[in-house]
Amino acid sequence: MKNWPKELSIWLDDRFGLSAITQFLKEKPVPQHKHSIWLYTGSAILLFFVIQVVTGFMLILYYKPTLDAANASVARIMTEVPLGWIIRSVHSWSSTFMIAFVFIHLISIWLTKSYRKPREITWMSGVFLLACSLVFGFTGYLLPWDDLSLSATKVGTDIPRSIPVVGAWVTKLLRGGGDVTGDTLTRFFGIHVCILPIFIFLLLAIHVYLIQKKGMSIPLDAETRNEDVPTIPFWPNFVYREMVVWLVLVGILFSIAIVFPPSLDKQADLMAAAPEGVKPEWYFLFLFQTLKIFPAKILFVNGDSVAVLIMLLAGLFIFFLPVIDNKPTERKGKIITALGYVLVVYALIMSVWSLL
Amino acid sequence: MKLKHSLFTRRQFLNGLFGGWITALLATFIYPVVKFIFPAYREPDEVILLFSDFEGMAPGSVKRFPWGSKPGILKKNDDGTYLAFVGVCTHLDCNVAYLPEQKKFFCACHDGWYDEYGTNIGGPPAHPLRRLVVEIAAPDLIIKREDVE
Ligand code: HEM
Ligand code: FES
Repeated sequence: MKNWPKELSIWLDDRFGLSAITQFLKEKPVPQHKHSIWLYTGSAILLFFVIQVVTGFMLILYYKPTLDAANASVARIMTEVPLGWIIRSVHSWSSTFMIAFVFIHLISIWLTKSYRKPREITWMSGVFLLACSLVFGFTGYLLPWDDLSLSATKVGTDIPRSIPVVGAWVTKLLRGGGDVTGDTLTRFFGIHVCILPIFIFLLLAIHVYLIQKKGMSIPLDAETRNEDVPTIPFWPNFVYREMVVWLVLVGILFSIAIVFPPSLDKQADLMAAAPEGVKPEWYFLFLFQTLKIFPAKILFVNGDSVAVLIMLLAGLFIFFLPVIDNKPTERKGKIITALGYVLVVYALIMSVWSLL
Repeated sequence: MKLKHSLFTRRQFLNGLFGGWITALLATFIYPVVKFIFPAYREPDEVILLFSDFEGMAPGSVKRFPWGSKPGILKKNDDGTYLAFVGVCTHLDCNVAYLPEQKKFFCACHDGWYDEYGTNIGGPPAHPLRRLVVEIAAPDLIIKREDVE
């Protein structure tokens, strides 16, 4: 029995046959080139996602998703529950980090065109992952049920209404009725802690499976010149490097979370006027500012409808990007890369403007 | 296996039968699911308040009352008459505030402005505030939707 760990692992492998996977990961090559640094963003997202799951499971032990109790239960987590404030703060900050890295991940793939054949579905599943992450953020924002989160949710759920034909139904579906009420809170809670987690796990499974199946892409110019790109094994060389990144990120996350815990306003009042300074979370600011600068009427149509339709079209464009960008080395491909930069600059300018 | 004059093999026939059966079964589930997730919602036809609660309002001031799950706003004009509004912005549904010094309604969400009669005068709102009909039948104050007789 001296060597029992080894014997146990052989025993388990006889049953599960997992050595095929470890063998695969040892052989999986990770290319090393000047854009390799972006390969670390994917696992950073996974890191923050795992932190969200763990802290989320903890918060659920005390959170109460009802009109009367929600705000007070969060206040209790902040003041009475041992270390509750750190858990809430980490959950809140880690969501910010996760979404920030999803944006960076997406834009780095856009600019390096790693979505090109045969990774189209990897990209599309990624766009769904982005959507899931944003919905996580949006539904989570309402849960503390304070003045600001109520007004932000009223606005956010009213935006789909300007989509022709189906808009009013979407708003009703999101709110669970004509207005934001206690039913909305319960609905958002269910989406946030039950429905979305199942979806995001499925999407992650597809995403990660495709990444393994298709391997890591190599830079476009190396591919067209048929060059050999040096590689390192995924396990253990690449994973050890990722671990260093995780360690640094966890350090930054916890430091920020401890120094800047999130605030909690007084309980939302459905009848009170909206407070000053209603703003969505930072990752919606550029959309918020876009809506704000659209005039009420453009010719004879409602300005908001135009703005929302443009946003929907932009979303579709991003989703189908790998199909649209079918000649990556030609002029069209360069224009699409330039559009990626334009999007980044636009989002930054709009976000900063909305804070002025 | 396929009989000589048969159009399908036995496998095709069974696949069609079971496939059709499962599709039909699932389809019958869709209706109740959709029904369930869209709750019935009706805004009230009218609300009945106690007039004595509102009688003493100073001219030019407003008081809130619940209009279903939305805030209603009752405003006493300088001439002593009353106006009632649904107190939500016609832009994106935020609850509005009344600023008596400026005689304007204000929406903090995207800086929307309405004059004292609820007409949109600035910012993103494209429509005036929704009016409600005020009927005084002491001791009741009845507030109705405009389209309710
Ligand atoms: C919850 C969100 C996400 C997680 C956890 C995640 C995770 C990962 C991981 C671990 C990798 C491998 C390492 C890497 O290339 O960075 C990866 C690659 C990839 N991701 Fe994501 N991702 C997410 C969101 C997205 C989004 C929003 C997009 C794009 C819209 C996207 C598109 C891709 C593509 C195309 C690859 C392959 C890159 C290559 O082969 O070079 N992912 N993702
Ligand atoms: S919701 Fe009132 S101005 Fe936008």
